[in-house]
Amino acid sequence: MFRTAWISLALALPIAIASRLPASAPTANIVAAANAFLTTLGDAERAKGTFAFGSSQKTNWSNLPSGIYQRNGLRMGDLTARQRDAALALVAAALSRSGYKKITDIMNGDEVLKNAGGGRTGGRQGASAGRGGRGGVQFGRDEYYIALVGAPSATAPWMLMFGGHHLAINITVVGPNNVMTPSLPAAQPAKYVLNGETIRPLGRENDKAFALINALDAAQRSQAILTYEVKDLVLPPGADGKVIQPEGIPASALNANQQAMLLDVASEWVGILNDEASAAKMAEIKANLSRTYFAWSGSTKNGELAYFRIQGPTVVIEYAPQQGDLDHIHTIYRDPTNDYGAKLVKP
Amino acid sequence: MIHRLAAVAVLVSLPIVADAHRLDEYLQATRLSIGVARVDVEIDLTPGVSVARDVFDVIDADRDGRINAAERDAYAREVSHAIALSVDDLQLAMRDVAIQIPEREAMSEGVGTIRLRASATLPRVRSGRHRLAFVNTHRPESSVYLVNALVPTDPRIHIATQQRDPAQHRLTLDYEVDPSWPRAWSLVAALLMGAALAVTRRAKV
Repeated sequence: MFRTAWISLALALPIAIASRLPASAPTANIVAAANAFLTTLGDAERAKGTFAFGSSQKTNWSNLPSGIYQRNGLRMGDLTARQRDAALALVAAALSRSGYKKITDIMNGDEVLKNAGGGRTGGRQGASAGRGGRGGVQFGRDEYYIALVGAPSATAPWMLMFGGHHLAINITVVGPNNVMTPSLPAAQPAKYVLNGETIRPLGRENDKAFALINALDAAQRSQAILTYEVKDLVLPPGADGKVIQPEGIPASALNANQQAMLLDVASEWVGILNDEASAAKMAEIKANLSRTYFAWSGSTKNGELAYFRIQGPTVVIEYAPQQGDLDHIHTIYRDPTNDYGAKLVKP
Repeated sequence: MIHRLAAVAVLVSLPIVADAHRLDEYLQATRLSIGVARVDVEIDLTPGVSVARDVFDVIDADRDGRINAAERDAYAREVSHAIALSVDDLQLAMRDVAIQIPEREAMSEGVGTIRLRASATLPRVRSGRHRLAFVNTHRPESSVYLVNALVPTDPRIHIATQQRDPAQHRLTLDYEVDPSWPRAWSLVAALLMGAALAVTRRAKV
Protein backbone atom coordinates (compact mmCIF):
# COMPACT_ATOMS: atom_id res chain seq x y z
CA MET A 1 0.00 0.00 0.00
CA PHE A 2 1.38 3.35 -0.97
CA ARG A 3 1.75 5.59 2.07
CA THR A 4 0.40 8.79 0.61
CA ALA A 5 0.11 10.79 3.82
CA TRP A 6 3.59 9.85 4.99
CA ILE A 7 5.09 10.80 1.67
CA SER A 8 3.32 14.16 1.63
CA LEU A 9 4.63 14.86 5.13
CA ALA A 10 8.12 13.72 4.19
CA LEU A 11 8.12 16.18 1.33
CA ALA A 12 6.68 19.12 3.23
CA LEU A 13 8.51 18.91 6.55
CA PRO A 14 12.12 19.29 5.37
CA ILE A 15 11.20 22.25 3.16
CA ALA A 16 9.45 23.89 6.09
CA ILE A 17 12.50 23.39 8.31
CA ALA A 18 14.96 24.54 5.68
CA SER A 19 12.92 27.60 4.79
CA ARG A 20 13.35 28.93 8.33
CA LEU A 21 17.09 29.19 7.74
CA PRO A 22 18.67 32.31 6.18
CA ALA A 23 18.11 32.08 2.44
CA SER A 24 21.23 34.01 1.46
CA ALA A 25 23.78 31.70 3.01
CA PRO A 26 23.46 28.21 1.56
CA THR A 27 26.62 26.87 3.13
CA ALA A 28 25.56 28.09 6.57
CA ASN A 29 22.15 26.49 6.01
CA ILE A 30 23.66 23.18 4.99
CA VAL A 31 26.16 23.14 7.85
CA ALA A 32 23.44 23.96 10.37
CA ALA A 33 21.19 21.23 8.98
CA ALA A 34 24.08 18.74 8.96
CA ASN A 35 24.91 19.47 12.58
CA ALA A 36 21.24 19.21 13.50
CA PHE A 37 21.13 15.81 11.81
CA LEU A 38 24.27 14.65 13.61
CA THR A 39 22.78 15.54 16.98
CA THR A 40 20.00 13.02 16.35
CA LEU A 41 22.50 10.19 15.94
CA GLY A 42 24.04 7.92 18.53
CA ASP A 43 27.73 7.06 18.49
CA ALA A 44 27.29 3.89 16.46
CA GLU A 45 25.12 5.67 13.91
CA ARG A 46 27.64 8.49 13.59
CA ALA A 47 30.39 5.98 13.03
CA LYS A 48 28.33 4.33 10.30
CA GLY A 49 27.25 7.52 8.57
CA THR A 50 30.39 9.63 8.61
CA PHE A 51 33.66 9.18 6.74
CA ALA A 52 37.02 10.90 6.50
CA PHE A 53 37.14 13.46 3.71
CA GLY A 54 40.09 11.75 2.09
CA SER A 55 38.42 8.34 2.11
CA SER A 56 37.26 6.44 -0.96
CA GLN A 57 33.64 6.87 0.12
CA LYS A 58 33.08 9.83 -2.18
CA THR A 59 33.15 7.62 -5.27
CA ASN A 60 30.93 4.95 -3.73
CA TRP A 61 27.70 5.72 -5.55
CA SER A 62 25.62 4.07 -8.24
CA ASN A 63 22.27 4.02 -9.98
CA LEU A 64 21.72 0.44 -8.86
CA PRO A 65 19.25 -0.70 -6.19
CA SER A 66 20.11 -2.14 -2.80
CA GLY A 67 20.89 -5.81 -2.94
CA ILE A 68 22.92 -5.34 -6.09
CA TYR A 69 25.01 -2.42 -4.96
CA GLN A 70 26.08 -1.93 -1.35
CA ARG A 71 26.16 1.72 -0.29
CA ASN A 72 27.83 2.93 2.84
CA GLY A 73 26.13 5.32 5.22
CA LEU A 74 22.82 5.35 7.04
CA ARG A 75 19.83 3.68 5.43
CA MET A 76 16.63 5.69 5.64
CA GLY A 77 14.68 2.62 6.66
CA ASP A 78 16.94 2.13 9.68
CA LEU A 79 16.45 5.66 11.04
CA THR A 80 13.85 6.84 13.51
CA ALA A 81 11.23 9.30 12.29
CA ARG A 82 13.15 12.16 13.92
CA GLN A 83 16.43 11.10 12.38
CA ARG A 84 14.82 10.61 9.00
CA ASP A 85 13.23 14.06 9.12
CA ALA A 86 16.58 15.60 10.04
CA ALA A 87 18.31 13.71 7.22
CA LEU A 88 15.78 14.90 4.67
CA ALA A 89 15.94 18.43 6.10
CA LEU A 90 19.68 18.35 5.44
CA VAL A 91 19.11 17.25 1.85
CA ALA A 92 16.46 19.95 1.44
CA ALA A 93 18.81 22.59 2.82
CA ALA A 94 21.37 21.75 0.16
CA LEU A 95 18.91 21.72 -2.73
CA SER A 96 16.47 24.12 -4.34
CA ARG A 97 12.79 23.65 -3.69
CA SER A 98 12.31 22.21 -7.19
CA GLY A 99 15.43 20.08 -6.80
CA TYR A 100 14.17 18.59 -3.57
CA LYS A 101 10.82 17.86 -5.20
CA LYS A 102 12.62 16.16 -8.08
CA ILE A 103 14.55 13.81 -5.84
CA THR A 104 11.41 13.14 -3.81
CA ASP A 105 9.61 12.29 -7.05
CA ILE A 106 12.43 9.89 -7.94
CA MET A 107 12.22 8.19 -4.53
CA ASN A 108 8.43 8.00 -4.66
CA GLY A 109 8.78 6.45 -8.11
CA ASP A 110 10.97 3.77 -6.58
CA GLU A 111 8.23 3.09 -4.04
CA VAL A 112 5.85 2.66 -6.98
CA LEU A 113 8.36 0.29 -8.56
CA LYS A 114 8.55 -1.66 -5.31
CA ASN A 115 4.79 -2.00 -5.14
CA ALA A 116 4.69 -3.10 -8.76
CA GLY A 117 7.25 -5.81 -8.05
CA GLY A 118 9.91 -4.29 -10.30
CA GLY A 119 9.95 -2.97 -13.82
CA ARG A 120 10.01 -4.29 -17.39
CA THR A 121 13.66 -3.46 -17.50
CA GLY A 122 16.07 -3.15 -14.63
CA GLY A 123 15.28 -5.92 -12.22
CA ARG A 124 12.70 -7.63 -10.11
CA GLN A 125 11.86 -6.87 -6.50
CA GLY A 126 13.48 -9.45 -4.25
CA ALA A 127 15.39 -11.11 -7.06
CA SER A 128 18.51 -12.77 -5.79
CA ALA A 129 21.75 -10.91 -6.12
CA GLY A 130 25.25 -11.76 -5.18
CA ARG A 131 26.28 -8.63 -3.40
CA GLY A 132 24.77 -6.26 -0.94
CA GLY A 133 22.98 -8.75 1.24
CA ARG A 134 19.53 -7.82 2.57
CA GLY A 135 17.86 -10.67 0.72
CA GLY A 136 18.12 -9.63 -2.90
CA VAL A 137 17.13 -6.57 -4.90
CA GLN A 138 15.25 -4.01 -2.83
CA PHE A 139 13.33 -0.98 -4.00
CA GLY A 140 11.44 1.77 -2.15
CA ARG A 141 11.95 4.88 -0.06
CA ASP A 142 13.62 2.98 2.78
CA GLU A 143 16.50 2.03 0.49
CA TYR A 144 18.13 5.46 0.25
CA TYR A 145 21.32 6.23 2.14
CA ILE A 146 22.85 9.36 3.59
CA ALA A 147 26.53 9.84 4.34
CA LEU A 148 28.72 12.75 5.41
CA VAL A 149 32.29 12.73 4.11
CA GLY A 150 34.33 15.04 6.29
CA ALA A 151 33.00 17.17 9.13
CA PRO A 152 30.35 19.77 8.30
CA SER A 153 32.14 23.08 8.07
CA ALA A 154 31.66 26.57 6.64
CA THR A 155 35.34 26.70 5.74
CA ALA A 156 36.93 23.24 5.40
CA PRO A 157 35.78 20.97 2.55
CA TRP A 158 33.26 18.22 3.22
CA MET A 159 30.64 16.32 1.30
CA LEU A 160 27.01 15.27 1.57
CA MET A 161 26.03 12.08 -0.24
CA PHE A 162 22.42 11.00 -0.63
CA GLY A 163 21.37 8.22 -2.92
CA GLY A 164 19.80 4.91 -3.72
CA HIS A 165 18.22 3.31 -6.75
CA HIS A 166 18.27 5.80 -9.64
CA LEU A 167 19.59 8.60 -7.50
CA ALA A 168 23.02 9.83 -6.49
CA ILE A 169 23.29 13.37 -5.17
CA ASN A 170 26.89 14.23 -4.29
CA ILE A 171 27.41 17.72 -2.93
CA THR A 172 30.87 18.97 -2.07
CA VAL A 173 30.88 22.03 0.17
CA VAL A 174 34.02 24.17 0.11
CA GLY A 175 33.51 27.40 1.99
CA PRO A 176 30.83 29.39 0.16
CA ASN A 177 30.97 27.05 -2.84
CA ASN A 178 28.58 24.14 -3.29
CA VAL A 179 29.33 21.67 -6.08
CA MET A 180 26.84 18.99 -7.16
CA THR A 181 28.89 17.05 -9.67
CA PRO A 182 28.95 14.17 -10.30
CA SER A 183 25.29 13.39 -9.66
CA LEU A 184 22.82 11.00 -11.16
CA PRO A 185 19.10 11.71 -11.21
CA ALA A 186 17.24 8.90 -12.98
CA ALA A 187 13.72 7.52 -13.00
CA GLN A 188 11.78 4.28 -13.19
CA PRO A 189 8.89 4.60 -13.67
CA ALA A 190 9.33 7.80 -15.61
CA LYS A 191 5.60 8.50 -15.18
CA TYR A 192 3.24 7.56 -12.37
CA VAL A 193 0.18 8.86 -10.54
CA LEU A 194 0.31 9.96 -6.91
CA ASN A 195 -2.58 11.60 -5.07
CA GLY A 196 -4.35 11.98 -8.39
CA GLU A 197 -1.40 13.88 -9.85
CA THR A 198 0.64 12.56 -12.74
CA ILE A 199 4.31 12.71 -11.76
CA ARG A 200 7.15 12.70 -14.30
CA PRO A 201 10.36 13.13 -12.29
CA LEU A 202 12.38 13.90 -15.41
CA GLY A 203 9.52 15.15 -17.53
CA ARG A 204 10.74 18.73 -17.91
CA GLU A 205 14.18 17.53 -18.95
CA ASN A 206 12.61 15.39 -21.64
CA ASP A 207 10.13 17.98 -22.88
CA LYS A 208 12.58 20.89 -22.96
CA ALA A 209 15.12 18.84 -24.90
CA PHE A 210 12.55 17.73 -27.46
CA ALA A 211 11.42 21.36 -27.79
CA LEU A 212 15.00 22.38 -28.47
CA ILE A 213 15.72 19.73 -31.12
CA ASN A 214 12.48 20.70 -32.85
CA ALA A 215 13.42 24.38 -32.71
CA LEU A 216 16.47 23.71 -34.90
CA ASP A 217 16.30 24.14 -38.65
CA ALA A 218 17.25 21.32 -40.99
CA ALA A 219 20.89 22.33 -41.29
CA GLN A 220 21.25 22.67 -37.54
CA ARG A 221 19.58 19.32 -36.98
CA SER A 222 21.98 17.65 -39.36
CA GLN A 223 24.77 18.89 -37.12
CA ALA A 224 23.07 18.02 -33.84
CA ILE A 225 21.74 14.58 -34.69
CA LEU A 226 24.33 11.85 -34.50
CA THR A 227 24.32 9.26 -37.25
CA TYR A 228 24.49 6.39 -34.80
CA GLU A 229 22.52 4.96 -31.90
CA VAL A 230 23.50 5.74 -28.30
CA LYS A 231 21.85 3.17 -26.09
CA ASP A 232 23.32 4.07 -22.72
CA LEU A 233 25.26 6.69 -20.80
CA VAL A 234 28.71 7.20 -22.25
CA LEU A 235 30.09 8.40 -18.90
CA PRO A 236 28.21 6.26 -16.37
CA PRO A 237 29.05 5.83 -12.68
CA GLY A 238 32.67 4.76 -12.46
CA ALA A 239 33.77 6.90 -15.43
CA ASP A 240 35.04 9.76 -13.28
CA GLY A 241 37.71 11.89 -14.89
CA LYS A 242 36.94 10.86 -18.47
CA VAL A 243 36.33 13.60 -21.04
CA ILE A 244 35.05 12.48 -24.42
CA GLN A 245 35.51 14.38 -27.64
CA PRO A 246 32.46 16.67 -28.00
CA GLU A 247 30.03 16.00 -30.84
CA GLY A 248 26.83 17.54 -32.12
CA ILE A 249 26.10 21.18 -32.80
CA PRO A 250 28.06 23.89 -31.00
CA ALA A 251 25.94 26.48 -29.25
CA SER A 252 27.76 29.09 -31.31
CA ALA A 253 25.72 27.79 -34.26
CA LEU A 254 22.43 28.39 -32.41
CA ASN A 255 20.46 31.62 -32.38
CA ALA A 256 19.81 33.48 -29.15
CA ASN A 257 16.46 31.81 -28.54
CA GLN A 258 17.89 28.35 -29.15
CA GLN A 259 20.82 29.12 -26.85
CA ALA A 260 18.37 30.14 -24.14
CA MET A 261 16.51 26.87 -24.67
CA LEU A 262 19.78 24.93 -24.35
CA LEU A 263 20.57 26.68 -21.08
CA ASP A 264 17.05 25.95 -19.91
CA VAL A 265 17.56 22.24 -20.53
CA ALA A 266 20.82 22.32 -18.57
CA SER A 267 19.14 24.20 -15.73
CA GLU A 268 17.02 21.13 -15.00
CA TRP A 269 20.16 19.41 -13.68
CA VAL A 270 22.06 22.43 -12.41
CA GLY A 271 18.97 23.79 -10.65
CA ILE A 272 18.63 20.76 -8.39
CA LEU A 273 21.22 22.45 -6.19
CA ASN A 274 20.25 25.44 -4.04
CA ASP A 275 19.42 28.64 -5.89
CA GLU A 276 22.60 30.56 -5.07
CA ALA A 277 25.00 27.81 -6.09
CA SER A 278 23.03 26.86 -9.18
CA ALA A 279 22.91 30.50 -10.33
CA ALA A 280 26.70 30.63 -10.12
CA LYS A 281 26.99 27.37 -12.05
CA MET A 282 24.57 28.53 -14.74
CA ALA A 283 26.60 31.73 -15.15
CA GLU A 284 29.71 29.61 -15.66
CA ILE A 285 28.00 27.42 -18.27
CA LYS A 286 26.67 30.52 -20.03
CA ALA A 287 30.17 32.03 -20.12
CA ASN A 288 31.39 28.90 -21.91
CA LEU A 289 28.36 28.59 -24.16
CA SER A 290 30.22 29.04 -27.44
CA ARG A 291 32.25 25.94 -26.62
CA THR A 292 29.21 23.91 -25.51
CA TYR A 293 27.71 21.20 -27.74
CA PHE A 294 24.27 19.66 -28.03
CA ALA A 295 24.12 16.13 -29.45
CA TRP A 296 21.03 14.04 -30.17
CA SER A 297 20.42 10.44 -31.16
CA GLY A 298 17.02 8.93 -31.89
CA SER A 299 13.57 10.17 -32.72
CA THR A 300 12.74 13.88 -32.63
CA LYS A 301 9.12 13.15 -31.79
CA ASN A 302 8.37 13.65 -28.10
CA GLY A 303 7.14 10.41 -26.63
CA GLU A 304 9.61 8.31 -28.60
CA LEU A 305 13.11 7.15 -27.72
CA ALA A 306 15.97 9.60 -27.84
CA TYR A 307 19.34 10.11 -26.20
CA PHE A 308 20.83 13.57 -25.80
CA ARG A 309 23.97 15.12 -24.39
CA ILE A 310 25.06 18.62 -23.44
CA GLN A 311 28.81 18.99 -23.21
CA GLY A 312 30.81 22.10 -22.47
CA PRO A 313 34.12 22.87 -20.80
CA THR A 314 32.59 22.64 -17.32
CA VAL A 315 29.50 20.52 -17.85
CA VAL A 316 28.45 17.14 -19.21
CA ILE A 317 24.81 16.10 -19.07
CA GLU A 318 23.53 12.87 -20.57
CA TYR A 319 19.96 11.56 -20.85
CA ALA A 320 19.58 7.92 -21.90
CA PRO A 321 16.46 5.74 -21.97
CA GLN A 322 17.38 2.19 -21.04
CA GLN A 323 16.98 -0.75 -23.42
CA GLY A 324 14.20 0.83 -25.43
CA ASP A 325 12.11 1.49 -22.32
CA LEU A 326 10.65 5.01 -22.15
CA ASP A 327 9.68 4.30 -18.55
CA HIS A 328 13.28 3.79 -17.47
CA ILE A 329 15.59 6.79 -17.84
CA HIS A 330 19.18 7.24 -16.72
CA THR A 331 20.88 10.62 -16.67
CA ILE A 332 24.17 11.93 -15.39
CA TYR A 333 25.52 15.37 -14.57
CA ARG A 334 29.27 15.96 -14.46
CA ASP A 335 31.81 18.76 -14.50
CA PRO A 336 35.07 17.42 -15.93
CA THR A 337 36.98 20.24 -14.25
CA ASN A 338 35.30 20.18 -10.87
CA ASP A 339 33.79 16.79 -9.99
CA TYR A 340 33.88 16.38 -6.20
CA GLY A 341 35.02 20.02 -6.00
CA ALA A 342 38.42 19.11 -7.47
CA LYS A 343 39.13 22.71 -8.47
CA LEU A 344 38.42 23.97 -4.98
CA VAL A 345 39.88 21.29 -2.76
CA LYS A 346 43.60 21.59 -2.18
CA PRO A 347 45.32 18.22 -2.29
CA MET B 1 44.79 -7.89 -39.48
CA ILE B 2 47.09 -8.30 -36.59
CA HIS B 3 45.47 -9.56 -33.45
CA ARG B 4 48.46 -10.60 -31.48
CA LEU B 5 48.07 -10.55 -27.76
CA ALA B 6 51.42 -9.41 -26.46
CA ALA B 7 50.72 -9.78 -22.78
CA VAL B 8 47.81 -10.65 -20.61
CA ALA B 9 47.67 -9.69 -16.99
CA VAL B 10 45.10 -9.72 -14.29
CA LEU B 11 44.46 -6.17 -13.24
CA VAL B 12 43.50 -6.35 -9.61
CA SER B 13 43.55 -2.66 -8.90
CA LEU B 14 40.60 -1.79 -11.10
CA PRO B 15 37.49 -1.17 -8.98
CA ILE B 16 34.40 -3.19 -9.81
CA VAL B 17 31.78 -0.51 -10.28
CA ALA B 18 28.42 -1.69 -11.40
CA ASP B 19 26.96 0.88 -13.71
CA ALA B 20 23.97 -0.63 -15.37
CA HIS B 21 21.33 -3.24 -14.92
CA ARG B 22 20.49 -4.67 -18.25
CA LEU B 23 18.44 -7.63 -19.36
CA ASP B 24 19.08 -9.22 -22.74
CA GLU B 25 21.90 -7.06 -24.09
CA TYR B 26 25.65 -7.29 -23.77
CA LEU B 27 26.83 -3.67 -23.43
CA GLN B 28 30.33 -3.12 -24.77
CA ALA B 29 31.55 0.41 -24.09
CA THR B 30 34.92 1.41 -25.52
CA ARG B 31 36.93 4.54 -24.86
CA LEU B 32 40.02 5.32 -26.91
CA SER B 33 42.78 7.62 -25.76
CA ILE B 34 45.08 8.78 -28.54
CA GLY B 35 48.64 9.85 -27.85
CA VAL B 36 51.52 10.71 -30.13
CA ALA B 37 53.14 7.33 -29.68
CA ARG B 38 50.33 5.07 -28.45
CA VAL B 39 46.62 4.43 -28.30
CA ASP B 40 45.07 3.27 -25.02
CA VAL B 41 41.94 1.14 -25.21
CA GLU B 42 39.40 0.68 -22.40
CA ILE B 43 36.51 -1.71 -22.94
CA ASP B 44 33.81 -2.21 -20.30
CA LEU B 45 31.65 -5.25 -21.05
CA THR B 46 28.40 -5.62 -19.09
CA PRO B 47 26.25 -8.66 -19.90
CA GLY B 48 22.57 -8.30 -19.04
CA VAL B 49 20.74 -10.81 -16.88
CA SER B 50 19.56 -12.98 -19.76
CA VAL B 51 22.96 -13.26 -21.38
CA ALA B 52 25.19 -13.16 -18.29
CA ARG B 53 25.13 -16.92 -17.77
CA ASP B 54 26.06 -17.58 -21.39
CA VAL B 55 28.92 -15.13 -21.21
CA PHE B 56 30.12 -16.53 -17.90
CA ASP B 57 29.92 -20.11 -19.16
CA VAL B 58 31.96 -19.19 -22.22
CA ILE B 59 34.65 -17.81 -19.95
CA ASP B 60 34.38 -20.54 -17.31
CA ALA B 61 35.65 -23.31 -19.56
CA ASP B 62 35.98 -25.92 -16.80
CA ARG B 63 32.49 -25.08 -15.47
CA ASP B 64 33.62 -24.89 -11.86
CA GLY B 65 31.81 -21.60 -11.27
CA ARG B 66 35.02 -19.64 -10.88
CA ILE B 67 37.28 -17.89 -13.32
CA ASN B 68 40.90 -18.91 -13.09
CA ALA B 69 43.91 -17.16 -14.61
CA ALA B 70 43.96 -19.30 -17.75
CA GLU B 71 40.27 -18.65 -18.36
CA ARG B 72 40.78 -14.92 -17.84
CA ASP B 73 43.64 -14.90 -20.31
CA ALA B 74 41.64 -16.88 -22.84
CA TYR B 75 38.73 -14.44 -22.67
CA ALA B 76 41.08 -11.47 -22.95
CA ARG B 77 42.44 -13.06 -26.11
CA GLU B 78 38.95 -13.72 -27.45
CA VAL B 79 37.88 -10.11 -26.97
CA SER B 80 41.18 -8.78 -28.28
CA HIS B 81 40.91 -10.93 -31.39
CA ALA B 82 37.54 -9.37 -32.12
CA ILE B 83 39.04 -5.89 -32.02
CA ALA B 84 40.73 -4.41 -35.08
CA LEU B 85 42.68 -1.23 -34.49
CA SER B 86 44.66 0.56 -37.15
CA VAL B 87 46.27 3.91 -37.77
CA ASP B 88 46.78 4.99 -41.37
CA ASP B 89 45.82 1.47 -42.48
CA LEU B 90 48.59 -0.06 -40.38
CA GLN B 91 47.09 -2.74 -38.14
CA LEU B 92 48.18 -2.39 -34.53
CA ALA B 93 48.68 -5.16 -32.01
CA MET B 94 46.94 -4.80 -28.68
CA ARG B 95 49.60 -4.99 -25.98
CA ASP B 96 49.68 -4.95 -22.20
CA VAL B 97 46.21 -6.42 -22.11
CA ALA B 98 44.72 -6.54 -18.61
CA ILE B 99 41.31 -7.89 -17.76
CA GLN B 100 39.17 -8.02 -14.65
CA ILE B 101 36.19 -10.35 -14.54
CA PRO B 102 33.66 -10.21 -11.72
CA GLU B 103 32.44 -13.28 -9.88
CA ARG B 104 29.55 -15.26 -11.26
CA GLU B 105 27.05 -14.00 -8.69
CA ALA B 106 28.01 -10.40 -9.34
CA MET B 107 27.14 -10.94 -12.99
CA SER B 108 23.89 -12.72 -12.24
CA GLU B 109 21.81 -9.54 -12.02
CA GLY B 110 23.29 -7.97 -15.10
CA VAL B 111 25.54 -5.59 -13.19
CA GLY B 112 28.94 -7.24 -13.28
CA THR B 113 31.26 -5.40 -15.61
CA ILE B 114 34.24 -7.05 -17.26
CA ARG B 115 37.00 -4.48 -17.71
CA LEU B 116 39.62 -4.87 -20.37
CA ARG B 117 42.48 -2.42 -20.72
CA ALA B 118 45.12 -2.49 -23.44
CA SER B 119 47.36 -0.26 -25.46
CA ALA B 120 48.84 -0.20 -28.93
CA THR B 121 52.14 1.36 -29.84
CA LEU B 122 52.27 3.61 -32.88
CA PRO B 123 55.24 2.86 -35.09
CA ARG B 124 56.74 6.35 -35.32
CA VAL B 125 55.77 9.85 -34.47
CA ARG B 126 54.76 11.91 -37.46
CA SER B 127 53.16 15.29 -37.69
CA GLY B 128 50.13 15.88 -39.86
CA ARG B 129 46.80 14.16 -40.34
CA HIS B 130 46.21 10.55 -39.37
CA ARG B 131 43.28 8.17 -39.53
CA LEU B 132 42.47 5.75 -36.73
CA ALA B 133 40.02 2.92 -37.36
CA PHE B 134 38.49 0.79 -34.62
CA VAL B 135 36.18 -2.17 -35.13
CA ASN B 136 34.61 -4.37 -32.45
CA THR B 137 32.94 -7.59 -33.59
CA HIS B 138 32.85 -9.41 -30.26
CA ARG B 139 29.54 -11.29 -29.75
CA PRO B 140 27.54 -9.23 -32.22
CA GLU B 141 24.40 -11.36 -31.85
CA SER B 142 23.40 -9.91 -28.47
CA SER B 143 25.54 -6.82 -28.03
CA VAL B 144 25.04 -3.09 -28.03
CA TYR B 145 28.12 -0.96 -28.51
CA LEU B 146 29.43 2.43 -27.51
CA VAL B 147 32.73 3.75 -28.76
CA ASN B 148 34.14 7.16 -27.97
CA ALA B 149 37.43 8.97 -28.20
CA LEU B 150 38.62 10.80 -25.14
CA VAL B 151 39.85 14.35 -25.56
CA PRO B 152 43.60 13.89 -26.06
CA THR B 153 45.59 14.85 -23.00
CA ASP B 154 48.50 15.77 -25.26
CA PRO B 155 47.86 19.31 -26.51
CA ARG B 156 49.68 18.56 -29.77
CA ILE B 157 46.91 16.19 -30.85
CA HIS B 158 43.57 17.43 -32.16
CA ILE B 159 40.68 15.20 -33.19
CA ALA B 160 39.21 16.46 -36.45
CA THR B 161 36.31 14.19 -37.41
CA GLN B 162 34.61 11.04 -36.19
CA GLN B 163 32.46 8.60 -38.18
CA ARG B 164 30.61 5.59 -36.80
CA ASP B 165 28.31 2.97 -38.22
CA PRO B 166 24.76 3.13 -36.78
CA ALA B 167 25.41 0.37 -34.22
CA GLN B 168 28.81 1.75 -33.14
CA HIS B 169 30.71 -1.38 -34.10
CA ARG B 170 33.07 0.85 -36.00
CA LEU B 171 34.72 4.22 -35.40
CA THR B 172 36.84 6.01 -37.96
CA LEU B 173 38.57 9.03 -36.59
CA ASP B 174 40.81 11.63 -38.21
CA TYR B 175 43.26 13.49 -36.02
CA GLU B 176 46.08 15.96 -36.43
CA VAL B 177 49.47 15.92 -34.76
CA ASP B 178 50.80 19.44 -34.41
CA PRO B 179 53.41 19.91 -37.17
CA SER B 180 55.51 22.15 -34.96
CA TRP B 181 56.12 19.30 -32.56
CA PRO B 182 58.79 17.29 -34.42
CA ARG B 183 60.47 20.48 -35.69
CA ALA B 184 60.64 21.87 -32.19
CA TRP B 185 62.13 18.67 -30.86
CA SER B 186 64.55 18.47 -33.79
CA LEU B 187 65.72 21.99 -32.95
CA VAL B 188 66.14 21.09 -29.29
CA ALA B 189 68.02 17.93 -30.24
CA ALA B 190 70.30 19.87 -32.62
CA LEU B 191 71.04 22.45 -29.95
CA LEU B 192 71.83 19.73 -27.41
CA MET B 193 74.14 17.96 -29.86
CA GLY B 194 75.84 21.23 -30.68
CA ALA B 195 76.36 21.98 -27.01
CA ALA B 196 77.76 18.49 -26.43
CA LEU B 197 80.18 18.85 -29.34
CA ALA B 198 81.35 22.23 -28.07
CA VAL B 199 81.97 20.81 -24.60
CA THR B 200 83.85 17.84 -26.07
CA ARG B 201 86.12 20.05 -28.23
CA ARG B 202 86.84 22.37 -25.31
CA ALA B 203 87.78 19.37 -23.18
CA LYS B 204 90.23 18.15 -25.89
CA VAL B 205 91.83 21.60 -26.11
